[in-house]
Amino acid sequence: MTTRLAVDPWDPSYGTPAGEQVMEESTARLTLDLEAPPDDWAPIDPAAGLWSPSEVLVVDGIRRIDARVWFLVEDEPAPMLGLACSYAAGVIRINGSATVADAQIRRAVFTACRSAETVRAPLAHYPIVHTAGGDPDALSLALQQQMRDLELVVAHNTRTSDNDLLVLDGPLRGRTTIPRTVGYIKTHHAAYLPSELNRVVADLRPRQRTPVFTIGTTWSRHTWYLRLPVDSAVPWAGVVRCECADTLSRAEAVQLADTTTALLPELASRPHKDPRAPQNLIPIGGLERLLRHRLGDATKLHRTLVAATRRAS
Amino acid sequence: MSLADRQTRVGELAYGRAVTQSEIEDDKGDLPVVGRVLGTQPASPLTYWTALVPGRWLQLDDVVVTSREVAGRGTVVTSGIVTHVQARHEGASFESDVHLIADGTLPGEVVEAAEITVTRVEPEIYVPPTPGSAVRRALDDERDAALYFDSMDRMLPIGLGRDRRPVYANFDFVDGTKGAHISISGISGVATKTSYALFLLHSVFTSQVLGAKAVNTKALVYCVKGEDLLYLDYPNTALTADQALKYAELGLPAQPFKSVHVFAPPRPGDPAGTPNISGRAGGAVSPMFWTLQEFCRDELLSFCFADAEDDRAQYTLLIGQVAARLKREADPIGESGAISIASRTVTTWSALVDLIDEQLTDEDTRRDWTPGATALGSINAFLRRLHSSVRPLDALIRGDLDLRGRQAVSTSEAQVTVVDLHSLPDRAQRFVVGTTLRRQLLEKEASGSSDPLTFIVLDELNKYAPREGSHPIKEILLDVAERGRSLGVILIGAQQTASEVERRIVANCAIKVAGRLDAAEATRPEYGYLPATHRQRALLAKPGSMFVSQPDIPLPLAIEFPFPAWATRISEAGTPPTPPASKAAERRQRDPFARVADQPDPGGDPAPF
Repeated sequence: MTTRLAVDPWDPSYGTPAGEQVMEESTARLTLDLEAPPDDWAPIDPAAGLWSPSEVLVVDGIRRIDARVWFLVEDEPAPMLGLACSYAAGVIRINGSATVADAQIRRAVFTACRSAETVRAPLAHYPIVHTAGGDPDALSLALQQQMRDLELVVAHNTRTSDNDLLVLDGPLRGRTTIPRTVGYIKTHHAAYLPSELNRVVADLRPRQRTPVFTIGTTWSRHTWYLRLPVDSAVPWAGVVRCECADTLSRAEAVQLADTTTALLPELASRPHKDPRAPQNLIPIGGLERLLRHRLGDATKLHRTLVAATRRAS
Repeated sequence: MSLADRQTRVGELAYGRAVTQSEIEDDKGDLPVVGRVLGTQPASPLTYWTALVPGRWLQLDDVVVTSREVAGRGTVVTSGIVTHVQARHEGASFESDVHLIADGTLPGEVVEAAEITVTRVEPEIYVPPTPGSAVRRALDDERDAALYFDSMDRMLPIGLGRDRRPVYANFDFVDGTKGAHISISGISGVATKTSYALFLLHSVFTSQVLGAKAVNTKALVYCVKGEDLLYLDYPNTALTADQALKYAELGLPAQPFKSVHVFAPPRPGDPAGTPNISGRAGGAVSPMFWTLQEFCRDELLSFCFADAEDDRAQYTLLIGQVAARLKREADPIGESGAISIASRTVTTWSALVDLIDEQLTDEDTRRDWTPGATALGSINAFLRRLHSSVRPLDALIRGDLDLRGRQAVSTSEAQVTVVDLHSLPDRAQRFVVGTTLRRQLLEKEASGSSDPLTFIVLDELNKYAPREGSHPIKEILLDVAERGRSLGVILIGAQQTASEVERRIVANCAIKVAGRLDAAEATRPEYGYLPATHRQRALLAKPGSMFVSQPDIPLPLAIEFPFPAWATRISEAGTPPTPPASKAAERRQRDPFARVADQPDPGGDPAPF
């Protein structure tokens, strides 16, 4: 019995595309025969003469905690936690050239403290976003939600054509009503497919996809796996999952699946340039770098917040 | 204001924008904001960087201005010249990212930045420009102030700037008021040194900078290489309308020199002494020679030994002694400039050389010529060297020519006197340069006034005033460089390599000009006035482009000067200034009896009317 060794292409600090834990068995409801009956499942090459969008909009957001702040309210026994955050979302428009179509930066303090007021620091203002829960997880979740909302704002701002394709980084949950949109998922936390069909995923060659199938968890969507160009023997290397709204017809979903299988490999990043290659697409990597830069210098913002609170007290 | 707007505004504040986007968009035309002072590079009062507004551009040598408020002191305006421009992809971290950006998968922006070298800070409060403040193109008066033209009383147009506006030199640094002399360096053929020297001369004569004195101002131009300076008074047929327009932009007439007299050596073997010049059909030409009388009287012997190798030899003392003896002993004979020495008539240079040889070789006569202690070896060396001068100088030192109507080489004949050396061997060139320069200097000394000015245009200064050694021409040139300012003798010297010219001459030049330079030459300390980027640019300067350094302006200015309005070769020559002399007139000139006819009858019958 021989053991072969393969190195995961991702930088270890980013984990692995398969998630940190062992992929959990999914209990989702599956409709596997949307495109092909499970017995006929095989890797699919995108059909020729498929729909090609006039432009591709890639949307991504980033967030950063600039400081943890504490609200000390009179008559309250414990101070209340707040997260002073900077977050941003942007859109890259790809139509021959890649340009930043929109990039918006927001700063806010997330807290459950009802009496908190906007934090005014010399370099930046942090308005208050009230959250339901005061624990760190709830605050993080609220930050995540705000960033997702901002992504929708910028995406909405930049959509001008009715023949474009919108690629949202991350799951499509709550955003299934936007037309011609796919969610782009880099990491696989759950094994949705039964193990015999997972073999089809492992058998994908670059620029091939699985048949479209439907997952129903708390929400339902059509989805498919595709493999980006990759030089690695790791079974799931370069495999990403895309999803689209389940309100789309079978034909529409298959069309989207074919289009993404043709388009996305062109945007795949290279291992020496991106620690999460090839899944972290080139425009997304560029956008994240740009947004992170525009968030401003973290040390300076931290210092300005310290200065602001010192003056207030 | 909506939350989003406010936050955008806050975001902008975080970047410390001093100029808002709308300010930049509003300024179309009036306030040509091209960029903002960069904050990622430290800005200093002497040099700073600017990031260009997308869509705007700056090129090398553009003049820009920025201003800032200084508490309690008002507005400080910092003007400067673009000395470096660069463009790069922002957002790219790998070399191959350029393909991704060009192919349109990676977002990246082209950003351009320019380095500004400050020329002037007004008022003189040396504070750095504030990062973020607007940088504008300097136009009209602002541009002239940035280059100190507003503080020049007398401005000499020296070419067009990159913005096609005139660039001036302070004439106080040309005519000797505050400084004098111009040094032009550059590779032969590409640097157009002589053309630029002539253009400067044209500008001096025609720009009104001299006022009424322009009429009497003279120039002595040595034509060292080719015939290019023999047609200065011929219009140039190759001058295009665009080039003529450049003259108009400089406020100069696009016309050849008005008054030119050419002196050329006599044709070898021609008993009549006709000037050895073929192309110049019209305009003043005279043969250039020295009579044996003049040669002895003015002690010109030393200029026969004006070579570097003469400097090292032991016979230097002997030259002076022989020259002094010639002056004492030579008696004029006849009207052809011949002399008589030791009761023998000498009419040619070779005869004089033979006579000196005879006298020095003979034991009895030698004592009259040299002090007794002179070693025989030195005398033989001197004679060997003297004999070798027979061939080059035989045509120039004469005692056999008809001197009627002869014009001695001087600047009195015309405004521009061209001395044609190009057909002469090196030894003869040195003789002519040394003799004419000394005469010029002596005349100016005798006149006792620096007015009117005399400009001397001499190429190949590294040959006539080399850094190493010492010989008579170098001494004269040094004299011109050091005393010329007060004598009113202005040197416009050109050389391929300023590093090989006597340091004191280059150091005395107030205005230094560099055309295209050789790469090795450009690194020498003589070009310290060129900043590093200018030196690099001097390696690829086009013909007609020059870098001019002058004491008033802390940075050399890049200029272009127009194509010569005068012909530089026979194929370009237009109508000559005066019609070519007819064959009949020429024959009359040579008529041996013409003299008789010219002279009034001394004592004959009065005319019957």
